[in-house]
Amino acid sequence: MNAFQYATAQSAESARELAGARGMYIAGGNDLLGLLKDYLVPAPDILVNIKTLPGMNQIQRGDKTWAIGALVTVAEVEDDPDIQETFPGLHEAAAEIASQQIRNVATVGGNLAQHSRCWYFRQRDTVCLKKGGDLCYALNSDNRYHSLFTGNTCISPVVSSLATMFAALDATAVVLRNGQETRMSMNDLYHAAWENPLAHNSLNAGDLVTRVEIPVARGRSTYMQVSDKHTFDWALVSCAAAADVDGGKLSSPRVALGSISPVPHQVEAANAFLDGRTLDDATAAAAADMILAGAKPLEHNGYKMPLAHALIRRALSKLVA
Amino acid sequence: MKDSDTDGLLGAHSRRTFLKSLGTVAATAATAQVQSVAAELEKINAEKIVGPGAVPVILNVNGKKLTLQLEPRVTLLDALRNYSSFTGAKEGCDRASCGACTVMMDDMPIYSCQKLAIEAQGHEITTVEGLADSGKLSPVQQAFFEKDALMCGYCTPGFVMSVTALLKKNPHPTADDVKHACAGNLCRCGTQPRVLAAALQAAGVAANGTTKTEVISHA
Amino acid sequence: MPSWPSNTKYIGAETQRIDAPQKLTGQARYSSDIQAPGWLYGMILRSNLPAAKIGGINLDKARQIPGIKAAIALGDGERTVHFYGEELAAVAGTTKQACLDALRAIEVDATPLPFVVNETDAKKDDSAQVWQGSPNFSQPSTREKGDVDSAFPKCAAVIEGFYTTPVQIHNPMETHGNTVSWTDDGLTCWASTQGIGGVRDSFAGALQLDQSKVRVITEYMGGGFGAKFNAGVEGILAARLSREAKAPVRLMLTRFDQALAVGNRPSSFQKIKMGALADGTLHAFEMDNYGTAGFAAGGATGGGGSGVELPMPYLYRVPNSRVTQTVVAVNAGSARAFRAPSNPPASYGMESAMDDLAVKLGVDPVEFRLKNDPSPIRQREYAIGVEKFGWKDKYQKPGTSPGIVKIGVGCAGAAWPAGGGSRGTQAEAKIFPDGSVELRLGVQDIGTGTRTVIAVVAAETLGLTPEQITVRVGDTNFPWGPGSGGSTTCPSVSPAVFDVCNNALQQLQTLSGMADVRGDNWSAACKKLGVTPLNVHGQWQPGLSESHACGVQFAEVAVDTETGLVTLKKVVAVHDCGLIIDKLTLESQINGGVIMGMGYALYEERVMDNLSGVVLNPNFETYKLPGIADVPDIDVVLINMPERGVIGIGEPATVPTAAAIGNAVANALGVRVSSLPITPAKVLAALGKVPPAVTT
Repeated sequence: MNAFQYATAQSAESARELAGARGMYIAGGNDLLGLLKDYLVPAPDILVNIKTLPGMNQIQRGDKTWAIGALVTVAEVEDDPDIQETFPGLHEAAAEIASQQIRNVATVGGNLAQHSRCWYFRQRDTVCLKKGGDLCYALNSDNRYHSLFTGNTCISPVVSSLATMFAALDATAVVLRNGQETRMSMNDLYHAAWENPLAHNSLNAGDLVTRVEIPVARGRSTYMQVSDKHTFDWALVSCAAAADVDGGKLSSPRVALGSISPVPHQVEAANAFLDGRTLDDATAAAAADMILAGAKPLEHNGYKMPLAHALIRRALSKLVA
Repeated sequence: MKDSDTDGLLGAHSRRTFLKSLGTVAATAATAQVQSVAAELEKINAEKIVGPGAVPVILNVNGKKLTLQLEPRVTLLDALRNYSSFTGAKEGCDRASCGACTVMMDDMPIYSCQKLAIEAQGHEITTVEGLADSGKLSPVQQAFFEKDALMCGYCTPGFVMSVTALLKKNPHPTADDVKHACAGNLCRCGTQPRVLAAALQAAGVAANGTTKTEVISHA
Repeated sequence: MPSWPSNTKYIGAETQRIDAPQKLTGQARYSSDIQAPGWLYGMILRSNLPAAKIGGINLDKARQIPGIKAAIALGDGERTVHFYGEELAAVAGTTKQACLDALRAIEVDATPLPFVVNETDAKKDDSAQVWQGSPNFSQPSTREKGDVDSAFPKCAAVIEGFYTTPVQIHNPMETHGNTVSWTDDGLTCWASTQGIGGVRDSFAGALQLDQSKVRVITEYMGGGFGAKFNAGVEGILAARLSREAKAPVRLMLTRFDQALAVGNRPSSFQKIKMGALADGTLHAFEMDNYGTAGFAAGGATGGGGSGVELPMPYLYRVPNSRVTQTVVAVNAGSARAFRAPSNPPASYGMESAMDDLAVKLGVDPVEFRLKNDPSPIRQREYAIGVEKFGWKDKYQKPGTSPGIVKIGVGCAGAAWPAGGGSRGTQAEAKIFPDGSVELRLGVQDIGTGTRTVIAVVAAETLGLTPEQITVRVGDTNFPWGPGSGGSTTCPSVSPAVFDVCNNALQQLQTLSGMADVRGDNWSAACKKLGVTPLNVHGQWQPGLSESHACGVQFAEVAVDTETGLVTLKKVVAVHDCGLIIDKLTLESQINGGVIMGMGYALYEERVMDNLSGVVLNPNFETYKLPGIADVPDIDVVLINMPERGVIGIGEPATVPTAAAIGNAVANALGVRVSSLPITPAKVLAALGKVPPAVTT
């Protein structure tokens, strides 16, 4: 890592001021320190500790909406019995993230804001498109872990497990930008990555994720992923689903896929198709087909198609079980 | 090692910046006006910019106070191994992916390689050197010993910390709980089956696994 | 001729690792833990290009970084770099941070050259050349036996397959590296090594020092698996930095470096054609194999196997065979011996072909092996394994397991020709008048339990307990011992310890005038030494150890045919290694070999990028090792053969695992994934579920 100054912010305003033009916030630090150790981002001149910012580290239960502070750790999400009861998919997503050591310090905000895991981005010596270079290496070389959908020439997918689940839960990230609260759906939060090869998400420098609000709208939720290994391995594909279920019939269903697009991938038409239907094998398969329509498998990531198809069907089955 | 030169001056455009330039000032109580200045100063002191050169960092390791001079970019692992003599936690990857550096921060297992030493202040850090009680192995260490849950030993301090932390949080884990707790610890020698057995033994849980060995005489 | 005692208390029983407490409490000091007074941190700058001409390396700015005490550039003036990660320069400084900053201040004048990192591409006529003016591949070598061309038509069944294995990285948990102090008095190196003697000799040779002036110490080290012999470029650099800085230098490699420059297992691309007669006997075998051992083998260097060439047809005798192999150079780091060099890939290719042919013949894979395996020991091991594993109940015809998650079983055999003892192994015993005993051997314990083996043999021979024996290893000041490779350490030290202890008994008997000084008499006998401890020498004797171990392993997998995920559910490992010294550490060795084989089968491969020539996975994130949740129950059956003496186990334990797993997956699916590692992507492809790339 390059050298940096360090300060602890006591308020969101002073965090922004302390960070200035070339500083960065540090919360859990898992992603940030990894980026700094490999010199993957312009070296910040100061790291501003935001772990002490007030009002951001609680899980607030509500009848209509829950708010999870951005400083709540992934372990706290995993261990919270009320979350397990009300948003079981969120518990499952949190439990799958990395390892216990990482979950203990990783924050909800940091999980959403994390940078690309593309191995060309993470490789210190390949200056890929996302790092301002001329070439998306993955597109022309080893793309086994990459996107099936993209809106631009960078095929690095979003890997945040929480983002995928939040997408299916129709959650909103509340971001402090220039002193104002801005509300972003998961689609909004990653839309910049869909459009712009240089972007990892839609956050600008100085933006602060403060909390994620989840509507108490869908009684059932689930999350599942498959990796090469059984634990401590990035998902090859992940699938989150949420809905109300009554006697096998879905209402307000939402299905989202992670690790196959720069944005948590949802297809409105598929959600609409499932709404009001009783789930059976054919319906699940049809929904999966719709969700994957238009996918562009590459030389090495075509396996993600049948894998995603299976996860969608299984997630839906698990919802109605 | 260069002594700390904590020059954090930025520009002098705001009142806050001006007040920062006064350096460390003790808050004094008098009139309300002074109190609000004191509160402001206290806040500013708490937001004091340090580094990039070395600054005093005070760590509580195994109940002992360590006062070190560290740049903010020094990790807790680096501080333990290279700025003091706590070499029990090992460097396996320096990228939060192998667990050899696992220590406990308060009761939580963390990767010390991905935690800035400056941020470990105010917490109780426990390393593998802090577990044995006057030479007597802790129950987890004893179980590892009995079950031969170690070989070269390099990953062992990390596993011992993960299991110790697990049993503190959940004294009666299942085999799946142990696997969940230790998923972030890698081993190349192949001690995983015996780590699992040792963890269950330390928890007083009868090992349910079917792993067994048998010796057959050739004669 | 000496022989092992037959009624033993400790030999063959379970003794806990005597160095476990030090490791468990963090007291054990590895070379990366040594804090010699005034020590400096060392770091290496590596090439970020896979091939380049280096015009010059400028260290001026690096030397100005505060805290930097020494800086060295490798080579004078022009040189050519042949792989991503090749060493260019090194610095030593008071902190890691100073070194990081110094590396980034080094200016390298580099002109990129054409490169190739893929074996198959490297064989093409138009490929970039690793060595100017030479083809990338060695002249193929061919071994023939009988007449394979007229043999195939006589076969009742013939299979053809293309079985491939990747480059595998050793990745021990402790990286390579040393703490070196080079002063006028000599050189001391705390090395993370498998061979202290070899390290001493490489320092002496490279730096032109007397061997007597070089001391190497390895009290503890964090694994090597074949990659850690000799001082290495990093050791010599640390020494030179130490000399320049006039301070000890600790230079450990980073995990990133491990994937680039300190060894690997060569790849294999095995095109096999094999046929059997109607009665099930193998009749014809033909193989075309190539692989890479990195930049230094193949082509201009004239071949030189480096582990690329495989001993085929491995365990089986086939009357007609033709094996053609070639070594391909690519711009990547060189191979080094890796736990049972050549054997796991040979086992994988051969045993996959065996199962494929058994299926074609319609015979049970174990029966097919029993028909063709010439080893009576393995015959017995298969019989035991079949029983323990429940093969007859578990085996189903390929692909017939019902449901989406299919169960499959497979097996494979091993032969490890080495594993005997090293004749020169010496030992020293010091017997103190208070009865305490110290054993000293110039070997190292690389995690296998060598210290404990020494204590067990000493305790047995002297009639004491292992706790009463102090064991010191890992110092070239101690009597010479061999490096730990080839599964030879246990069969080297056990006879040497037996000898020195028997010598001690004889001398003590003479000195004390007591007929039997062992056990209860020990204390009284030692008192008679007065004030002078007894120094006894001993060495390896013939008749107490042997080479050649076998082994067979069975694997059961569950394969999810919708997601491709492979779950290894069970392994039964049946092994022999002569006389069992410590059952506890022996079982751990076998667990370790199986788990390493599992990684080879399901997760591990070094990924090179064709576009940039870099290693894409120089970390534990995408170079994947089995975790605790991946590892199955492993049942171990040991066949104790005391009459054969001591034989090593480290390598045979890892040979057949990947083959058994690969066969189990093929059995589950009814179709074979013939390329390691067997990932979900490859399983889905084998099942025909992967759509072609969309190119618009």
